[in-house]
Amino acid sequence: MHTIELKNVRKSYDQFVAVDDLSFQIEQGAVFGLLGPNGAGKTSTIRMMIGITVPDAGEIQMFGKPFERSSLNRVGYLPEERGLYKKMKVVDQLIFLGQLHGLDAARARRQALAWSERMEISGWLEKKVEELSKGMQQKIQFISTLLHEPDFIIMDEPFGGLDPVNAALLKDALLDLKGKGKTILFSTHRMDQVEKLCDTICLINRGKSVLQGDLKEIKARHGKSNVQIEYEGDGNFLSQSQLVGSYNNYGNYVEVRLAEGADPQQLLHLVAERSRVSKFELMEPSLEEIFIETVGKTDA
Amino acid sequence: MHNIFLIARREYLERVRSKSFLFITIFIPALMFCVTALPTLIATRLSGAARHVVVVASDSRTAGLIRDQLQTGADDDKEARAQGGTPAARYLVDVDTNATEGERAALSLKVKEKQIDGVVWATDDALAANKITYVTRDVSNLTDTIGIRQLVGRAVHRLALRKKGLSDADIDTALKPMDMQTENPTGVAAGNPLTAFLAVFGLVMIMYMAVLLYGMNVMRAVLEEKTSRIMEVMLATATPTQMMTGKILGVGAVGLTQVAIWTASIAILSQLAAVAAAGALKGIISLRLAFYFPIFFLLGFVLFSTMYAAVGAMVNSEQEAQQLQFLVATPLIASVIVLVQILQNPGTELGMWASIFPLTSPLVMFARIALDQTVPSWQIGLSIGLLLVTIYGMMILCGRIYRVGVLMYGKKPTLPEIMKWIKYA
Repeated sequence: MHTIELKNVRKSYDQFVAVDDLSFQIEQGAVFGLLGPNGAGKTSTIRMMIGITVPDAGEIQMFGKPFERSSLNRVGYLPEERGLYKKMKVVDQLIFLGQLHGLDAARARRQALAWSERMEISGWLEKKVEELSKGMQQKIQFISTLLHEPDFIIMDEPFGGLDPVNAALLKDALLDLKGKGKTILFSTHRMDQVEKLCDTICLINRGKSVLQGDLKEIKARHGKSNVQIEYEGDGNFLSQSQLVGSYNNYGNYVEVRLAEGADPQQLLHLVAERSRVSKFELMEPSLEEIFIETVGKTDA
Repeated sequence: MHNIFLIARREYLERVRSKSFLFITIFIPALMFCVTALPTLIATRLSGAARHVVVVASDSRTAGLIRDQLQTGADDDKEARAQGGTPAARYLVDVDTNATEGERAALSLKVKEKQIDGVVWATDDALAANKITYVTRDVSNLTDTIGIRQLVGRAVHRLALRKKGLSDADIDTALKPMDMQTENPTGVAAGNPLTAFLAVFGLVMIMYMAVLLYGMNVMRAVLEEKTSRIMEVMLATATPTQMMTGKILGVGAVGLTQVAIWTASIAILSQLAAVAAAGALKGIISLRLAFYFPIFFLLGFVLFSTMYAAVGAMVNSEQEAQQLQFLVATPLIASVIVLVQILQNPGTELGMWASIFPLTSPLVMFARIALDQTVPSWQIGLSIGLLLVTIYGMMILCGRIYRVGVLMYGKKPTLPEIMKWIKYA
């Protein structure tokens, strides 16, 4: 069953078309990436999914039926614009938000305690939100999204502003939920952050879907045309070589995109002649590169 | 419904528990006490000490009579005290029959040097001209000067009547002050007009302040959710209409709680009769007013706080809100201006229309009901009916502005933009 399905959805604000004829569906239990640059229409799409706004045209089905507000008790939404009541105690806040999602007070409290244990903020429950650090507030927000054990979890830029330790904590919790059959949607412009997590993706640009499907398939389709090289010596020769389409110097290593039809074996020879190679690896292109390539094509 | 209840309850509890609630609950009555009762208390305390006065008259009989009157005080003094008025000052009186210019200068000097507090110059010449002189350092002390004038006047009348050969008993009867009771045509006593005036004015001002104060609180609450960016979190479960309704109900309940606390404390104070002003209110606050006050307060509050909620949704900061806030408050201010006229004459045409026009009716109709027992019930009914209809319309209109406004960050919307928001489905 599809957790959510969009068919030819369109939303415009005055002259500006935010979402244009967008269709995709998310299988139950899948991790889905809604990816695109800032202003591509990601948040507009999500707002329509959960009934904050209504599409101008098209159809949205959630849990196999047209949108209805009672479905929202099965949805956990972490918006990009995050906020909490500053003067409220953390535990009261969590209970309040849990109740709004249909939990009774006792159950909301139990869940709040269990989750805060897991997210390592138990000691802060009696504090007011304004006394907490930004990262801490993020975690509370995260808990509030999951308190009512939603079947469909929507995370808009979930890792923004989190340090690596907390990001890992959050990632593990989400993978856990995935294991329990929950559906997760990530919306982000930081494609590198969710690349490893997603099963399927939809790349959107200017409100339109430019690429969607199974992530592994998409990557396979784009072939292994990237090479990561670590070497000692001067690497300037790379830029002059016919074999190299483009290359990025990251300091410790360079990433080379092969020219059309170039043989990686030839490149290895070339590099080995000029310097001492410590690593030479053929790689799949990153999502970001695929995105840039696809958008470049459609724009052209 | 459940969401509205949860939102209202959160709003209520967070506010009632806050320190500012406690502060305002205590501070406002304390301020009113200071403004109304304290001056009276201070004046009473000050005039408590006996004042040393010299009465100068041409003969000892006249002087003695004035002295007796000053020392016993006015006959109606007790009554005045019972009504919460200021008791006349007490006097210690010396008599002087040396009515020369030299003596006058000498006594004036004594007043100046604080050996005595005042000189009453009531010589035969002065009495014949019907013009006595009172020399005192505190020319602005009203209790003192009015008291002296009344008492000396009474003594002079008594003297004149005695000269006509009336007995003291006849004179007492003749000088007995007239009592007057004001009634409206239906025969219900209106009480003391001054206290009625002040009580109604006070009640309407409480309503005015409460509507303004809590309306702005609703606006701030909306603004707070916008600036803290919690709006979108909330919108994932509650509709904008639920949020707006919950906010208005929650803040309104806080207002009612506060007004209830104030009313209760006034009631207790008036039972104790500890405060003169509260005592005066006792006869004025009838069951009728206790019935209509909450009705018009609630209707007024819901109407104005709906508009304030829309203002809060339109703007991004309190600075931006100021102009729009003023626009919303204008009908309230107009109500107070009309009120001043109504207090003098409850039956004017302007008053009638203002008490039916929904934006001014909460305050004005309540004032009319309080002052005039003969307001036709169809007018009251029409006023309430129109208010309900207006509230309904305003809720739809402002609900639409709210729904779009809460998700708009950035610049302040222009009027055409707001019109567009209202048209969005």
